[in-house]
Amino acid sequence: MITVQLNGSEVQGRPGMTILELAQENGIDIPTLCYRSELNPIGACRICSVEVEGARTLVASCHTPIAPGMAIHTHSPKVLQARKSIVELLLASHPDACLVCDKANLCELRKLAADLGVGLPRFRIRKRYYPLEDVSPYIVRDLTKCILCQRCVRACREIKKQDVFAIAYRGFDSKVVVDQDQPLDKEVCRDCDVCISFCPVGALTKREEALVPKKGIPLIMKG
Amino acid sequence: MPEKRIVLKNCGVIDPRDINTYLGQDGFKALAKARTELTPEQVIAEIKGSGLRGRGGAGFPAGLKWELARNAPGTEKYVICNADEGEVGTFKDRYILGRDPFSLIEAMAIAGYAIGSQTGYIYLRAEYYYLLNLLQNAIAQAQEGGFLKGLVIEICEGAGFYVCGEETALMDSIEGRRGEVRFRPPFPPTQGLWGKPTIINNVETLINIPQIILNGAEWFNHIGTERSKGTKVFSISGDVERPGVYELVMGSPLRELVEELALARDVKLVQVGGAAGRVLPYQEIDTPLAFETVLGAGAVIVFNESRDVIDIVFRTMEFFAEECCGKCTPCRLGTEAMIEILAKFVQGSGSKEDLTVLEDTARMMQLTSLCGLGQTAPNAVVDTLQYFPDLYQARISKSEVP
Ligand SMILES: Cc1cc2nc3c(=O)[nH]c(=O)nc-3n(C[C@H](O)[C@H](O)[C@H](O)COP(=O)(O)O)c2cc1C
Ligand code: SF4
Ligand code: FES
Repeated sequence: MITVQLNGSEVQGRPGMTILELAQENGIDIPTLCYRSELNPIGACRICSVEVEGARTLVASCHTPIAPGMAIHTHSPKVLQARKSIVELLLASHPDACLVCDKANLCELRKLAADLGVGLPRFRIRKRYYPLEDVSPYIVRDLTKCILCQRCVRACREIKKQDVFAIAYRGFDSKVVVDQDQPLDKEVCRDCDVCISFCPVGALTKREEALVPKKGIPLIMKG
Repeated sequence: MPEKRIVLKNCGVIDPRDINTYLGQDGFKALAKARTELTPEQVIAEIKGSGLRGRGGAGFPAGLKWELARNAPGTEKYVICNADEGEVGTFKDRYILGRDPFSLIEAMAIAGYAIGSQTGYIYLRAEYYYLLNLLQNAIAQAQEGGFLKGLVIEICEGAGFYVCGEETALMDSIEGRRGEVRFRPPFPPTQGLWGKPTIINNVETLINIPQIILNGAEWFNHIGTERSKGTKVFSISGDVERPGVYELVMGSPLRELVEELALARDVKLVQVGGAAGRVLPYQEIDTPLAFETVLGAGAVIVFNESRDVIDIVFRTMEFFAEECCGKCTPCRLGTEAMIEILAKFVQGSGSKEDLTVLEDTARMMQLTSLCGLGQTAPNAVVDTLQYFPDLYQARISKSEVP
C-alpha cells in the first residue's frame, strides 16, 4: 500500500492507482471531462488538474499515478481558479445555443460551469462553425459544439474496435473527422450508438431522438 | 568569460564528408575508450559526474536519463537524437550537424553502449533535408570503418511541426502517427518509442559526450557554474551586426554575447530561449546565461529601440497558436484567447479587464497545459507585463481611462 496526504488527511492507496481513483475511493469529487473509466485516459481537457506539493505545475489527476508521500490538494484556490479558467475558455468558444440544444440539461459542460460558478465568459474567442452533418441514418453530428474530449474517438476504437473517428488538422482547427474529413455515412459506421452515449455535449445525437424532451435534474447557470 | 570551443571544436576544422579528417582529431577515441576501458555503468557514472544537462531546453541531467533507461527492464531500447530544432531563432544544431556529423554518431554509439541499445534514430527537422545526404554519408563511413558494431542509426525526417520536437510527440511521429503529446509519467526512459525504454537527447547534448569520456567528468565539471556545467552554443539573431553561432562558457553575461560578440546597439529587449523563452529588458543585460537564470535552447533574439513590444508579444503568441497540437484545452483555446486580447492591445483598444484575463489565462496555461508548449507560451506575455506595464496601460482604450 502507498500512503499519501489527500487534502490534509493521510490515506492509503494501491500501487498504480491514479490520483483521481484515490480521490473517488475517498469520497472526493474531482470534476472530469475527457476522462471516462471505461476508456484509456488521454489527459486532454485538464479539468481534473490538482495540486501536488513540490510539483512545478498542477498535474492531471486522471492519469497521474499516486506516489509515496505525495501531498495532494484537490480543491485549493489555485486549482479552482485554473479549472474555472479552463471552463471559461470552453464556454467562450462554444456556440451560444444552449436554449435550443438537444443535450439540454444533460450537458456536462453546463453542469461543470454551474458547479464551478462560471457564468458568461469575460472575453470572446473565435468559434468553429461547421455545417451540421446529418447524412448518416443513425447519427447527427454537430461539430460546432464539439469540445475535443476525444471520447467518441476512443469509444469507437477501444470498445467497438472500429476506429471510425480520428483527429485531423491542428491547434484551434483540430477536428474529429471520418476518413479524409468526409461526412459520416452508413458505409463506415453501423448503428452501435456507442459514441453518442459518450459525448458530453450536444455534438452527437441519435437521429430519432433529436428534439425529444430530455429528463434530468435542472441546472442553474450562475452569471 | 571567454569563448570556449568544446562543442564546436571540430566545426570548420574537419571535412564533414571525410571520416579520416575526423579520426585525425581524436575521432572515435572516446568510443574505443568507453568500450575497452569502461563498463556501461562506468560510462553513465562519468556522464552523471560531469553534470551535463540537456541542451534542448529543459535541462534534464543527461546521466540520470541514461541511468533510468539502462535500469529499465527489457532488451529492446532506443537512442534518439532530437535534431528537430524548431525553436524560434535557433540554428545551432543545423550548424553543428553540417560541420561535425561524426561527433554525433560517435556520441550515439557511446549512448547505445551505455544503455544497451542497438537502434538509434536521428529525427531531422524537415527543412534540413539538405543535410540528409551528408548525415547518411557519415553514418555509412562510420559503419564501414567498423565503429558502429551492430548499432543501426536511421534518419527520420521530421513532420514539419514545432510540437514534434517535444519528445513524446516526436516518438509518435517516428511511429508513423500524428505528432501529439503523450502524458507523463510514464517517462521515455522507461516507456518511450514503441513503449520501450528510450533516451532522447538534443544534438548539442550528445556532442559533449565524446569530450567528456575522453577528458573525464572532472575536467567538464570545472567549467561553468554551480548547476550549469560546460559551455552553451547560442544562436543570436535580430537587431545585431554579427548574427550567428557562438559558444560561451556557462554563466557568461548576456551582455558579452549581445554587445561584445554580436555587436548590438540600442537594445530594447532580448528574448532568451526563443519564443518559449524569457523576455529581458535592457536593464537586465548583465544576467548570466545559465540554467539557474535564463537559457532555454540558447536562441537569443535581440530587439532594438525601434521595435514595438506588444507587437513582438502578439506575433509570438500567433506562432504558438499556429504550432499548438490541439490536444489539450488550455493551450488550444488559451493561445486563441490571448491572440484576440493581444490584438486589441496592438490596436490600442484594450481594457483593464483584458489585462486581468491575460494574467488569469497565462497562469492557467502555465499550470495546466499538457506539455511545455502550452506551459511556456505565455512567457512573453508574463514577462512584458512585468517589465513594460506602462506600454500595456498606454494601449487601454481612451474611453476606458477615467
Ligand atoms: C514544444 C516543444 C518543442 C521542443 N522542440 C525541441 C527541439 O526542436 N529540439 C530539441 O532538442 N528539444 C526540443 N524540445 C525538448 C524535448 O522535449 C526534450 O526535452 C529534449 O529533446 C531532451 O533532450 P535534452 O535532455 O538533451 O535536452 C521541445 C520541447 C517542447 C515542449
Ligand atoms: S500544450 Fe499545446 S502542444 Fe502541448 S499538448 Fe497541449 S495543445 Fe498540444
Ligand atoms: S479529465 Fe483528466 S485531463 Fe480531462
